[in-house]
Amino acid sequence: MIKGLRKSPVDLLFGTLTAMASFVVVVLIAGIFIALLKESLPAIHRFGILRFITTSEWDPVAEVFGALSTLTGTLVTTFLSLLFAIPIAIGIAIFITEIAPDFLKGPIGTAIELLAAIPSIIYGMWGLFTLAPIMEQYIEPFLQETVGRLPLVGALFQGTPMGIDLFTASLILSIMIIPFTASVARDSFRLTPEIVKESAYGVGATKWEVVKDIVLPYSKLGVFGGVVLSLGRAIGETMAVAFVLGNNHELPHSLFDAAATITVSLANEFTEADTDIYLSSLYYLALVLFVLSFITLAAAKFFLLRAERRQSR
Amino acid sequence: MTVESRRRLMNNIALALSSLAALTGLFWLVFILLDVLINGIRGINLSLFLEDPAPPGIQGGGLRNAFVGQLMITLFATLIGVPLGVLGGTFLAEYARGRRISRVISIVSDIMVSVPSIVVGTFVYALMVKPLGHFNGWAGAVALAIIMIPVVLRTTEDMLGMVPWTLREAAFALGAPYYKVILQVVYRGASTGILTGVLLSIARVAGETAPLLFTSFNNSFFTWNMNEPVSSLTVTIFQYAMGPYEDWHTQAWAASLIITLFVLFITILGRLILKWRFGGSAR
Repeated sequence: MIKGLRKSPVDLLFGTLTAMASFVVVVLIAGIFIALLKESLPAIHRFGILRFITTSEWDPVAEVFGALSTLTGTLVTTFLSLLFAIPIAIGIAIFITEIAPDFLKGPIGTAIELLAAIPSIIYGMWGLFTLAPIMEQYIEPFLQETVGRLPLVGALFQGTPMGIDLFTASLILSIMIIPFTASVARDSFRLTPEIVKESAYGVGATKWEVVKDIVLPYSKLGVFGGVVLSLGRAIGETMAVAFVLGNNHELPHSLFDAAATITVSLANEFTEADTDIYLSSLYYLALVLFVLSFITLAAAKFFLLRAERRQSR
Repeated sequence: MTVESRRRLMNNIALALSSLAALTGLFWLVFILLDVLINGIRGINLSLFLEDPAPPGIQGGGLRNAFVGQLMITLFATLIGVPLGVLGGTFLAEYARGRRISRVISIVSDIMVSVPSIVVGTFVYALMVKPLGHFNGWAGAVALAIIMIPVVLRTTEDMLGMVPWTLREAAFALGAPYYKVILQVVYRGASTGILTGVLLSIARVAGETAPLLFTSFNNSFFTWNMNEPVSSLTVTIFQYAMGPYEDWHTQAWAASLIITLFVLFITILGRLILKWRFGGSAR
């Protein structure tokens, strides 16, 4: 695009400078991987890979470390938060693109995105001091009385409700990721050509039928990308869950059990690790987290790019 | 029930549920903000800003050390992260425009934006804390800068891309070399956008806690020295909220209120600038 331009020596210098600055990002991401790998080598040698992720024991005194309990915590909170967040986020996207009158579209969109701007530590504070007591006194006993009585699912709601548990953490996490999913879904919805929607209205479809049969199929790849993006965010979220999970390294049996996620263990134990193998095992956890979130985020990017390409054609 | 009335019913149910979803989102926003406001305002007083923390368990004291520490860490993070991000974005949008490498780095940055911030903390610990043997403020600033760089880089790339190509050609036609065109024409055209990107990236890191836990750590004493552990509002909130004293909780709420107001103010300011500059089309 800039062929045939007069080359100035300053350009060579400035161009190189900018090139180096942009390579910093690549160097950083490679550097993070290498540093985490290097620091976790002692733990990798000692505990292996498969054994590390299938052992639930986490005993700093006996120097036995396994990732199963924290990995379970991470996966359960992530899965539950997506379960709570996806329907609400898609509902919000439908509301903003299809239902809301024009004067409400902007303000509501901004308000939802402000949820994403609130620092995660604020979610943590609010979760610990305000939400957890409400969960403990009202919502969790209520759930035990109702859903807890059902066969099979009921087992998930056993135990004394304390408010400091997987359920509360997942709820907070879901509030945090709603804006991400909603804004990606909204943008994908908007890419649906007006003419296709109008044709559907023309043959007498209701609003819901247009959304269900035209907009959603048209934008499903983008929405899916948004969901995977939120998944990547939820896996790595620390402070919002650190307050309300209790950092308990036992395998949880119920949603009302205190638990630990990879991020919560790192936040609570990293500065307290007194032996080399303890610190190395924590780095190993960080490495597992980094690889997990990198794969998820790369997949999200892949889906979003494909959605963009398909819709721009 | 006829098919028509069932369809109409389904439609009404679905639309009602979507509206309910939007209300749910608003409900959480209002709930959280009001809660922070009500609890935080009780702890706001002059000594919060002017005094250092009292010894644990003793009433009174403030968070002067944390305010100053937070400002220093954020300032240095901005000084490191913004130039790198802007220059990097310039490469992608100008010198490497349309090339494969530009696309690859752009995608890597997008992934980097969402990398767990606590992982960045562990990385900087290995890089700058372990070799030195003690926590230090610089490590905290670098950790935040690492989080800022991809954000600034991507916004800069997008904003430079919005400057019309014909504007550059006009400058080329006058015989200007490319670097002059970038510095004097392109940057000028995109300055508002870049500034907004910088503002939003500051808002993003000002509330970060996880990357500071293992880098700048915390310090109960006032310090200007970035080679020492430096206190920050966010880490202090974490420590105080988990602590046993009622007084600590009040101060943690007050600090939360101030951080929230600061972050929301910058975020809204950034959005207003975007809206004013680019009209309703900008997201």
